[in-house]
Amino acid sequence: MKKPETAVTKKKKKPRSRAGETWHRLKKNKGAMIGLAIIIILVLIALYTSIFWDYNTMIVKVNIPERVQPPSRAHPFGTDDMGRDVLIRTLYGTKYSLIIGFGATAIGLIIGVLLGAVAGYFGGFLEDVIMRATDIFASIPAILMGMVIVCVLGTSLPNLLIAVGITAVPAFTRITRSMVLTIRNQEYIEAAKCIGTPNLKIIITEVIPNSLSPIIVVASSRIGSCTIQAAGLSFLGFGVPAPAPEWGAMISLSRNYIRTAPWMTLFPSLFIIIMVLAFNILGDGLRDALDPKLRR
Amino acid sequence: MNVEVENINQTENEQLDTCETVLEVKDLVVHYELEDETVEAVNGISFSLKRGQTIGLVGETGAGKTTTALSILNLLPDPPGVIKNGEIIVCGHKMLELKPQELEKIRGKEISMIFQDPMTALNPVMTVGEQIAESIRLHEGLSRKEAFERAQEMLELVGIPGERAIDYPHQFSGGMKQRVVIAIALACNPYVLLADEPTTALDVTIQAQVLDMINDLKNRLGTALVMITHDLGVVAEICDLVAVMYAGRIVEYGTLEDVFVHTRHPYTEGLFNSLPNISDKNSELKPIPGLMPDPTKLPPGCAFAPRCQYATEACRAAQPTPTYFNDTHYVLCTRYNEPDFRLLTRGI
Amino acid sequence: MIRYIIKRLLWLIPIIFCVAFIIFALLDLAPGTILDTISTENLTPEEYQRLVEEYDLDKPMVYRYAKYMWNLLHGDLGRGEATGLDVWREYISRFPATLKLSFAGLIIGVALAIPLGIIAAKNAGTWIDNLVTGFSMIGISMPSFCLGLILIICFSYKINLFPAGGFDSGFKSMVLPAVASGLLMAGTTARQTRSSMLEVMRADYLRTARAKGVPEKRVIRKHALGNALIPIITSIGNTLAIMLAGSAVVESVFSWPGVGRLTVQAVNSRDATLTCGCVILTCIVFVVLLLIVDLLYALVDPRIKAQYTAKKPKRRKEA
Repeated sequence: MKKPETAVTKKKKKPRSRAGETWHRLKKNKGAMIGLAIIIILVLIALYTSIFWDYNTMIVKVNIPERVQPPSRAHPFGTDDMGRDVLIRTLYGTKYSLIIGFGATAIGLIIGVLLGAVAGYFGGFLEDVIMRATDIFASIPAILMGMVIVCVLGTSLPNLLIAVGITAVPAFTRITRSMVLTIRNQEYIEAAKCIGTPNLKIIITEVIPNSLSPIIVVASSRIGSCTIQAAGLSFLGFGVPAPAPEWGAMISLSRNYIRTAPWMTLFPSLFIIIMVLAFNILGDGLRDALDPKLRR
Repeated sequence: MNVEVENINQTENEQLDTCETVLEVKDLVVHYELEDETVEAVNGISFSLKRGQTIGLVGETGAGKTTTALSILNLLPDPPGVIKNGEIIVCGHKMLELKPQELEKIRGKEISMIFQDPMTALNPVMTVGEQIAESIRLHEGLSRKEAFERAQEMLELVGIPGERAIDYPHQFSGGMKQRVVIAIALACNPYVLLADEPTTALDVTIQAQVLDMINDLKNRLGTALVMITHDLGVVAEICDLVAVMYAGRIVEYGTLEDVFVHTRHPYTEGLFNSLPNISDKNSELKPIPGLMPDPTKLPPGCAFAPRCQYATEACRAAQPTPTYFNDTHYVLCTRYNEPDFRLLTRGI
Repeated sequence: MIRYIIKRLLWLIPIIFCVAFIIFALLDLAPGTILDTISTENLTPEEYQRLVEEYDLDKPMVYRYAKYMWNLLHGDLGRGEATGLDVWREYISRFPATLKLSFAGLIIGVALAIPLGIIAAKNAGTWIDNLVTGFSMIGISMPSFCLGLILIICFSYKINLFPAGGFDSGFKSMVLPAVASGLLMAGTTARQTRSSMLEVMRADYLRTARAKGVPEKRVIRKHALGNALIPIITSIGNTLAIMLAGSAVVESVFSWPGVGRLTVQAVNSRDATLTCGCVILTCIVFVVLLLIVDLLYALVDPRIKAQYTAKKPKRRKEA
């Protein structure tokens, strides 16, 4: 009875060494490492501020006497129209963008990959229905969809997550389905079927791990675009409600003071750009590391 | 059709009279300089070709054949590829000393090349007629219309109906694509055609057709041909001269009869012996043991010595010098410094 | 080919039906109705009831949906409940503004990106390449409203070069918004151009062209670029579609009287008819634009054209 054991251990080794190899290649990419470092720093900021900072006293407490002050030693990023320290609010706002970036992408990924895998694997009528529905859904511009969904559900962080997450589904569905279609025709799938492996097991153990690379690539580019989308929605008023220091919302509020107090706009903008840039650079690096054939 | 071919030959003959030796390669040395190491691809090659002759450049993969051909046209990929030494003369033009604009005039007009893989050799978004006509317009200054008509004639010459000149490459099969490539190469009736394994990527049945066509055109148009191949059968069919290459050197050179009947070099002997013998069903295959040496770490002595059954210490110590058997036939083999050395199974 | 176009356009019908249904369903679920956004304090109960009946708010959502679709099929997009204005007229009057903005962004983006991308590809691995890649990365990482606001700060307030908003100053007022929306286009297109050119540079048919004696300039211009442009055009088209759809944000920043702003206003006021109309019309534009991109693609790449014009093979069941 040794054969089944060695077969299983062999399978476990393969993904590990593949991941290890990918990590090794990724490490060589300086840009990607910088991006990763920035993201880790941002995550740490988000964790620290959420745990240790008191929301009510530090973030939302109104402080009229000190309102609209330019950057100074006491307030490195200046203060906003309610007298609150912009630096503190910006740092605290990290957690919203990170949650939406990761969360929305995760929602899109889970739903999209499942739908795509089912569509690709079972084919036939099911595939047609899923893909046509995806096409219809993709025909609706994402921001409009997001607006309507948030309008329905109300402005809050979870709702924003859902709104942006749903718009990320089509990309994942499409890429998963096309990967599954390619893999489905490979011989090792035929072999697994021949020895009677149930369909679900095949999907989980063979199909999905082998489709991972392009899914990871799509995911990494999605995080950036989800973050931008969420910021945009917040800016238009469809995001996390005031007084929460979400970056898009902060920028929206600062519009009235754009002439007199540009720092209110600039610093949150800077943070958004840095975070999305870090994700994009890391995503690019991941893409290169996962498939060396794509390197120049 | 034949009348026009003859006309071409007549005007070309007037020019060719001043160009008897159409191609001369002298002591060509080519390296690929990579980041960590240098590939010594070609290590001193010389040969020459007269008007209408065909030479076969034979050897395994990695022997330096394609590199030689690309160097003749000065088309080596320039970052890694460097021509370290040598002279290349095409009809009196010193290719390695010419400026790019002058080279562009010679390529396609006096010397042209066809490559191994027809599937990727054609531009997918231009019609085949346009691709042939482009060459004609560039070198012969014809108008668009005239060039296109000539292109259609070239297609007919290679056995494709002229109406198909408006079709795109993806509408042709592999064999037909290769014919288009040949049509492009011969469109301006060059003196020399370099053919780099033109039939290797094709089906066996198509191979014979394309080969026959190349041979036929070569004869009709009077083109000299450098046929690069690893297939001795192809060489036997169409070549006048043979150069056997190994690790970037020509180890045996001579006429077809010299090399095939009076084989002298151990490597050439090995090549012939490794051909399967159809009539003797019980005999075993006799491959040459071992592998070609790593071109980044070539040994100081004869490169074939590690695999050679006749090798001696002298062979391994120093590079062999050419031994001539007659005007045309020479080998690079140290053993021939001894007066009585003979191969065991060939050349007797 | 015509068959292909018609098939694609026919898709619009189910799309419209589904989108309208989704919008109606969602807005129906939303708390509050149109009546909450217009001032109802001074109305008598009868007048209030009359409004309820006028907007069919006492009938189930499906009724309103069916009525809407019926009107739609007759070409009537209805009147916005909040404003009382005709939906079609409002959309159409604002559409040219959005179109102008998107195309200005497109031109700026492409004019910048393609040469930069070619330069980057030609000098791959050098500092020039890194600079262009860095610029493109920033382009795609910057939300358009951030860029818009930053541009306003720099060029409208610190240096008074361009107006901060509105439509009035003609050409000048278009510059900042066009740049803001064009940067995304520039970034994606530059990246696509670079990677496309790099891939094409390695192609065998370039070697064939050189062996024919084609001058290097022409090799790059006609053979390399001709092939590289194909994915570039697709990328430009897709990005344009995204720009058009996302115009809401840029229009808000610059108070640009376009379609995006109209949609935002509609959603905010829970105006189902107006929202539906805006979303449906924008969807149609989206779909038509993507179709045009696909057709352009076929125009440029004869292999794709062959696919579109091929007769449909009979479906075979898998063995």
